[in-house]
Amino acid sequence: MMKLEAIIQPSRFESVKDALREVGIEGMTVTEVRGHGRQKGHTEVYRGREYTVDLLPKLKLEMVLPDKLVSTVVDTILKTAKTGKIGDGKIFLSRVDEAIRIRNEERGENAL
Amino acid sequence: MLGPRADDERKRIRLQFEAGVSARETVLSLCALADSSLQQIFAQVVRVHNAEAPGLSLLALGGYGRKLLFPYSDLDILFLFGSDKAENEYRPLISDFSRILWDLGFRVSSAGRTLEECKRIEADNAEFHLALLDRRFLAGDSEVFEKLDTRILPTSEKQARPFLLAELDKLTRERLTRYGNTIFHLEPNVKEAPGGLRDFQAAVWLRQIAGERKETLKANAVEDELSLGAVDFLSAIRCFLHYSNARNDNTLTYELQAGAAERSLGVFDGVARNAAEWMRLYFRHARTLNRQLLRNLEQKAVLPQSLTKRFFSAARGAKIEPDDGRPFVVRDGLFEVLDQSAMSDRAVTFGLFTEAARAGTPLSRRAERGIAYIMKHPELTVRNPEISWPALREILGADYPGVALRPMQRLGLLTEVLPEFARIDSLVVRDFYHRYTVDEHSLRTIEHLQELADPPDARGVNFQTLWKTIDRRDLLIFSLLLHDIGKGMNVENHVAGSLQALDTAAARLHLSEEEKTEVHFLIEHHLDMSATVQRRDIFDPSTISAFAGMVSNQERLQRLCLLTYADIHAVNPEALTPWKADMLWQLFVATSNHFSRTLDRDRLHVHDEVLLLDQVAAHSRAAGTVEIERFLEGFPRRYLAVHSPAEIASHFVLYRGLAQQSVQTDLRQTGSAFSLTLLTADRPALFSTIAGVLAGWGMNIIKADAFANAGGVVLDTFHFTDLHRTFEMNPTEIERFRVNLAEIVNGKLPLEPLLRSRDVASRARPPKVAVDARTTFDQRSSDHSTLLEIMAQDRPGLLYDIGSTLARLGCNIEVALIDTEGQKVIDVFYLTEQGQKLTLAKQESLGQALQQNLNQ
Repeated sequence: MMKLEAIIQPSRFESVKDALREVGIEGMTVTEVRGHGRQKGHTEVYRGREYTVDLLPKLKLEMVLPDKLVSTVVDTILKTAKTGKIGDGKIFLSRVDEAIRIRNEERGENAL
Repeated sequence: MLGPRADDERKRIRLQFEAGVSARETVLSLCALADSSLQQIFAQVVRVHNAEAPGLSLLALGGYGRKLLFPYSDLDILFLFGSDKAENEYRPLISDFSRILWDLGFRVSSAGRTLEECKRIEADNAEFHLALLDRRFLAGDSEVFEKLDTRILPTSEKQARPFLLAELDKLTRERLTRYGNTIFHLEPNVKEAPGGLRDFQAAVWLRQIAGERKETLKANAVEDELSLGAVDFLSAIRCFLHYSNARNDNTLTYELQAGAAERSLGVFDGVARNAAEWMRLYFRHARTLNRQLLRNLEQKAVLPQSLTKRFFSAARGAKIEPDDGRPFVVRDGLFEVLDQSAMSDRAVTFGLFTEAARAGTPLSRRAERGIAYIMKHPELTVRNPEISWPALREILGADYPGVALRPMQRLGLLTEVLPEFARIDSLVVRDFYHRYTVDEHSLRTIEHLQELADPPDARGVNFQTLWKTIDRRDLLIFSLLLHDIGKGMNVENHVAGSLQALDTAAARLHLSEEEKTEVHFLIEHHLDMSATVQRRDIFDPSTISAFAGMVSNQERLQRLCLLTYADIHAVNPEALTPWKADMLWQLFVATSNHFSRTLDRDRLHVHDEVLLLDQVAAHSRAAGTVEIERFLEGFPRRYLAVHSPAEIASHFVLYRGLAQQSVQTDLRQTGSAFSLTLLTADRPALFSTIAGVLAGWGMNIIKADAFANAGGVVLDTFHFTDLHRTFEMNPTEIERFRVNLAEIVNGKLPLEPLLRSRDVASRARPPKVAVDARTTFDQRSSDHSTLLEIMAQDRPGLLYDIGSTLARLGCNIEVALIDTEGQKVIDVFYLTEQGQKLTLAKQESLGQALQQNLNQ
């Protein structure tokens, strides 16, 4: 099992979600986050007030996947979240040792 | 009755309930079953322990004490001991008793106290004292109970009244707040939520603790009857929920709403209802219970006071603000009605609501009841039943419109003025995003906006200025009242339904075409800003450009932004996350900056505007469009965005007049301000000259813009307030002002003597808020001009000083946008020098010259 965390542009979320649903991924955790990588922020002025937008809004998707689905999901996110511009986001993958469904204590991929 | 027999009895009670036996009988039967079981077990345990249990009494408390035991409710019981010795002696007996109850499947919540302990008030356990109010003897030593019931508690409860009242008030308000202070939840908790059974019980306790007298109880007989009907209805639901969920879960979920509606739960009129219609009945009953509780919370001051306290309150009297001969008055921060009969005049009633909306002062429950009395008696003649749009506008445009609209809705006055609103009355729309009914959501949007006067949290801080400076707030509030009406109509798209509702409302209330257009825009696009924030890249200039194109001008942007803020906020308390609020703000800022920085990028080419030409021709009754084309060609597109075809036509009429008189003016009063439109051929220092004349006449410029067409005709608009009420006190001065303005603009009279004659005293007034002067040049935003942004402390004559400095240094104003926020001036000028952008050296010298002016 792998845990996938993807940081994406908020504007791409609907497309990513729809595409994931098509490949059979219904469940995910979505968090509103702010941050930046190489895409630095910018300075904005409104009515004389200057402020730096250094942490840009992004969405973080988290899901734990059975090994066989990992590459499909990664490809799907790459395809739908990519605009080709700086700030498109990143995908992180990490190994998960165990998953347990609290309701019936099922373990492993059955619990996903 | 124990074990299988008790189970059989429980099944029988359930079957009877499902066959139509009332909830009241059901809970009584369950209570009787529990009583007999507990008494039997208690007797058995006493027998086993070879004791007769002197000094030990078993009591039922809380709901069980009131003989209201729902199928899966806990049994609240108290072991009452005559002494400490008894407490120690009966420990093993109680332990056995509790174990047996547990094994038999009873859910028990038990406590133990000695008589001595019951005399003391437990400051951190008000719930226990409140539960004791509903004590009932079950088994054991009845003398111990008698002592508690007739000797100890009457005295200690009397002493503890202030404490109990305060604690009950606190607990109740905390509970109501936990549920957002509204009955209108899509999946309400029928016990704990506002309008639930807990409301009824809290009201009963409040009256009980306050020692309400018999005659007061009689006066409330009608209300009590209504309440009991509501209690029966909600009790039926609660029994149904317990049986359906097989546990003590009181949430009326969508699924169970459908089930309840299907079996017409609590309804005996034989009318079949779908879930949404049945929920409307629920909300009506919940409203009855909630209102009764709120009235009791407000009136808890009936608490008997000590002689000293009574003396001091009589000497001080209630805090009353002067009434100016009106039939209502502010007393202790609430509006009270002094003359109930006056409320049969709708003009007076609306006058009261207007005052409430202006001051943010709510009506007392008593005042509301006074108006309700008039409303419920059709035999009383109602005077001035028709409410005009200007009267309604007063309420909608005030600082606290929700303070008036909320009671207007409760009283049925809102639907009297706006019958379309009845379509969403208590309407449940099933989705997992909205928490409230549609009418509640709509009113909440307005309340979230009025909170911006003093934002309760960081999410609102950025939007505060928008709310305070918004133009035509009434149109925004009107749009919010209408924006979701379509959800109560049989239409595919609720926006289309809401627009239909606008059509009928606008026709009935006689909105002007411009007003209707603005409201139409807000309703039609009420989801667009939110969609752009969430589904588009708001850092992409093309997104901003497209969004700005849809919104078309700053005023609309401001209204749409506030509407979106309120609409998301009122979905549920968590819907507007700080992240979303920030995204919304960034889209607003980017679009606003787009408007001010791209003004001269888009110039008007009239051959693209056939429809507009025809409209202007029709409004101005022009024979053809050639002259109109000449007039419009080359104006910035913003000119179209901020003026309606009718206004453009009136400008065109002025343009035609230039042949007779070289300076054409149009002066109009708009609310408390004036707007001056001036058309003339471009000439040096024109803008500063007009600003100077206005300053010389003592006028305070709050907004202005200056545009020029391709033919060099300048159209300047100034919005100003008449600081010294010159025009109001001396209407003849208006004509003198026009003549004076034309003569000075034409160079026939000098400006300086007029400026010198202005009382300089006003210049000396200290500013309320200090604003640091700041000038910024921007060479990138425009292809042809240099943008100059000025932020400074406002003062009389400032715009004249700025304009003169620009003219003196040879700068030509291509476009100007002048705005003020309180005492802060925010000006944007598009400048050229001999047709080119300003050089760096010119920017530097201009910056220095301006800083001197701004720091004066």
